[in-house]
Amino acid sequence: MSEMPFPDTPRVDAYDKVCGKPIFAADDARSGLLHAAFAVSTVAKGHITSLDTTAALTVRGVRLVLTHENIGEVKPRGFIMGGGYGFQSFQPMLSPAIAYRGQPIALVAADTLEAAMEAASRIEATYEQQPFSVTLDAEGTETINQADTPLKNFIPEIVVGDAEQAFATASVKIDEVYNCPVQHQNPIELIATVAAWDGDRLRIHEGTQNAEAIRHGVATALGLAPEKIEVISSFAGGGFGQKNSLQTQTVLVAIAARRTGQPVKLVVPRTGVFHDASFRPATRHRVRLGADKAGKIVAGVHEIDAQTSRHDLFPGEYAATSSRLYGFASFRGVERLVRTDVQTPGYMRAPFEHPACYAMESAIDELAYALGQDPVELRLANDTSVDSPTGLPLSSRHVAACLRRGAERFGWAQRSMAPQSMHGEDGSQIGWGVALGAYPGIMVPAIAHLKVADDGNVTISVGGHEMGQGIRTALANAVSRKLDVPLEKVSVVIGDTRVAPQHLTAGSWGTASAIPAAEDACDAMLKALADLSRTGVRGSPAEILKAAGRQSLEVEVQRKAPGQPDAIFERLRAGLPSIGGPVYGSYVTFSYIAHFVEVRVEPGTRRIRVPRVVSVADCGRVISPRTAASQVRGGVVWGIGAALREASEVDARYGGFLNADLAEYVLPVNADIGSIDVEFIDEPDKTFNSAGAKGLGEVAMTGAAAAIANAVFHATGRRVRNLPIRIEHLL
Amino acid sequence: MQPFTYTRAETTADAVHAVVAGGPGTRFLAGGTTLYDLMKLNVERPSKVVDVTALDGLDEIDTGGAELVFGALARMSDVAAHPLIVAEYPALSESLWRAASQQLRNMATLGGNLLQRTRCAYFRGGEPFACNKRKPGSGCAAQEGINRGHALLGGSDACIAVYPGDFAIALVALDAQIEVLGPNGERTLRVEDLHREPGQTPEIETTLGHGELILRIRVPKSPLGRASTYHKIRDRESYAFALASAAVALDMEGDTVRAARVAIGGLATRPWRARMAEQSLIGKTLTPQIAREAGDLALQGAKPGRDNEFRIELGARTVADALMIARQRA
Repeated sequence: MSEMPFPDTPRVDAYDKVCGKPIFAADDARSGLLHAAFAVSTVAKGHITSLDTTAALTVRGVRLVLTHENIGEVKPRGFIMGGGYGFQSFQPMLSPAIAYRGQPIALVAADTLEAAMEAASRIEATYEQQPFSVTLDAEGTETINQADTPLKNFIPEIVVGDAEQAFATASVKIDEVYNCPVQHQNPIELIATVAAWDGDRLRIHEGTQNAEAIRHGVATALGLAPEKIEVISSFAGGGFGQKNSLQTQTVLVAIAARRTGQPVKLVVPRTGVFHDASFRPATRHRVRLGADKAGKIVAGVHEIDAQTSRHDLFPGEYAATSSRLYGFASFRGVERLVRTDVQTPGYMRAPFEHPACYAMESAIDELAYALGQDPVELRLANDTSVDSPTGLPLSSRHVAACLRRGAERFGWAQRSMAPQSMHGEDGSQIGWGVALGAYPGIMVPAIAHLKVADDGNVTISVGGHEMGQGIRTALANAVSRKLDVPLEKVSVVIGDTRVAPQHLTAGSWGTASAIPAAEDACDAMLKALADLSRTGVRGSPAEILKAAGRQSLEVEVQRKAPGQPDAIFERLRAGLPSIGGPVYGSYVTFSYIAHFVEVRVEPGTRRIRVPRVVSVADCGRVISPRTAASQVRGGVVWGIGAALREASEVDARYGGFLNADLAEYVLPVNADIGSIDVEFIDEPDKTFNSAGAKGLGEVAMTGAAAAIANAVFHATGRRVRNLPIRIEHLL
Repeated sequence: MQPFTYTRAETTADAVHAVVAGGPGTRFLAGGTTLYDLMKLNVERPSKVVDVTALDGLDEIDTGGAELVFGALARMSDVAAHPLIVAEYPALSESLWRAASQQLRNMATLGGNLLQRTRCAYFRGGEPFACNKRKPGSGCAAQEGINRGHALLGGSDACIAVYPGDFAIALVALDAQIEVLGPNGERTLRVEDLHREPGQTPEIETTLGHGELILRIRVPKSPLGRASTYHKIRDRESYAFALASAAVALDMEGDTVRAARVAIGGLATRPWRARMAEQSLIGKTLTPQIAREAGDLALQGAKPGRDNEFRIELGARTVADALMIARQRA
């Protein structure tokens, strides 16, 4: 039965969402709740010389003004990429230090949100300012070669053969620089924390992708036993990597709740989202490709300069994906990190893979034109079944199928190769572009608890977070099928540290990690039910329980990624990243996608439209077809945003981010989106895991921006190498 | 936000009186889509707001007479969807439905829309940005800053903030007037005379006195209405302010232009009527080339900043495309 594709079922949580049930932390309206607001730094670097809270304290309804001067002892809780729990090591409000504009300098808790905001606006700070740098090319930045840092121990350099030498002697060469701007995730759910104490126990309600990091991070900061803290995140209204670790507000809200003796809610306003959370750093990519005259790629060199903060090294793993797109005979990846005065950047959807695929797949398109070869044929000719950086076999790779299926659905054969050769009836220039994307196949350990009851109800509790991607539906689908019980009888409890360790859900490993664990739990349950029914009773779990006179039966299983030691479960319980893959000893796993894009460029004002996209994904077995297709459409929309719309503006005189709201940070809207036609290869990868599922949420976006940029080139003959591509580039 | 007093006016006279009596910190409140937004940003800090949404008779849409008459409280969405406006005055309808989002258009009133304040990030962002409009005398961060969206026309060294509205552009093109009630009674003025250029006092944005309330908008009926359009070019297809826009209206005799109206938006510190462009079209056969020459005239005198020079070319093309769209409707 598990060999069959899954049926198309609605989201199990759709009804609650469209009814506006208060399932999100920001909607919490319990009695006695205090509302909190931040005052933030107006300078980009330096330290506070005086902080006057007198006027703030006179606002009616204010209960607390928390600053570095009265906060008391708070211990460092570390950086998630440095053995800790925070998106950055720096916790604002513990000292007078200012690391970036927009950094919180005080928290006000009051009876109403309006009072809290007013009081926050009355806090007077004076600063001693220091010089700062906020862009890749600014004076005063510091560039670090990642290979010269301890990061090299867990992010291996990509070196295959002598790529420089092979490039030097190649017949056909591409050597270009591509730039990706700062981008900010803007989940519709704002960052929000509700903290409530009951004696010495703390309960936190927060939309997150990593409830366990919040629990352990807050425990570390406040010197509490983790057992005293419960974190509940049944739903996050979009995460996209922004909510993947302890953020700056949570510890502060917990302190405010303890100090006031009342539950406290803080909803970070949209402007704050641009400054209180991580973001996609600016990157610059120099790509060199060498090929022989037949189109065989003999050399690839990908050098990346990626922005990081002063206080942390946010690692770069760009070449880890670009080197996997083809069977490169030689390859060299160089990752450089550029320290700037910002909050630490982070893992915005396809954090490395989107910029890496944009740069590499743009260069591949340039190579196709340099060779005079069809861009699909060039890609097919350089396909591989071996992982170039390691020489290991790939557990599955259906890139050629993605390209062929996509080309057929799109009608690629009708394309004329020459730029500016296709036109619409209105005089618009038509361009057709293609690009590949790839994303590592990653798994993390999970513990699953399964309960069946004699009333037919089934409850699966497992590590995982629902941020809209559909993991709750995928789990319900998997359990429903395995136990042969109706979907509506299955309850899914995730994002709750009370029921199972809640590992970070990110990196497209959610399904590949939670589903196999849930299926293992189902197998264990079926075995336990079989033991119970030796009397001869057959039927549903509820019937077996009734016949045996049992009210319920529970099992618990644990599961880890291939090759992980048993000690990984200790890391899981400690809330630390416990990531396996994509290299699994004897094989390597990646997900893939091929995007085919049509753009139309208006003749007069040069608006760029994307009327249709065909995307064919190889993500192994599709567990929840409806939410999976939705994930791909969302990924393509993100690609449209990255290629044509989004950039966080930086005014180097002030630091911080300027266009920090939804009107001015130009996300795509419905009117920007045409047809997005999604197909899945749907071939299970049983080498990777028993469910056959690889990741999908992130690979969906990879390559989409390149396909659009390549289509713009085909339409106009202009190769724009800086994202986003806007009207001014084509006038 | 700063605590404030809220009162609801029963009559227009009461509303005006309440604002005058309340002093300079008192503001009219209609749909609230700009005022509340800026209050939350701490940019507007009124001590008192006078809600005018309960006033009788100011939400009318009267198309029966020699003029189109819109009450100042008519909702953007209602006017945008009015069948006669859609059919006979597409520039008006388009300028409304191409603005904001449906939710905002359902809330926002026409009178309030005319007075929408700029989207300049240095104005809205508060401290630490220098902004003469928000804090007179503090300077203008946009001059040497990120000014891709700032004004090319009508600016000064004190301010280059764009007037962001769309509807006013179409109204200026169609010679609309507004009726205003103030402490000294009613008066009528052209929409074109409502907004001021910043000069050295960018904090003063209109020619309305304190306590003056827009009651109605009057648009003379005209044969130019039908062959009209509001063409709006922006960074996405909806829910964005204009990089360049043009309201144009034509009166054609065969292929020849008998009369033309051209106003441009998103490019200037106030709604910008382009009379030289209009003059250049009269008596001409409207070709793309002639339309483009009119576009260039509309942008004459444009002064680019660091990031916005492309919008001179874009503005000219926007006018040209708008003329050809309107031509199709003649």
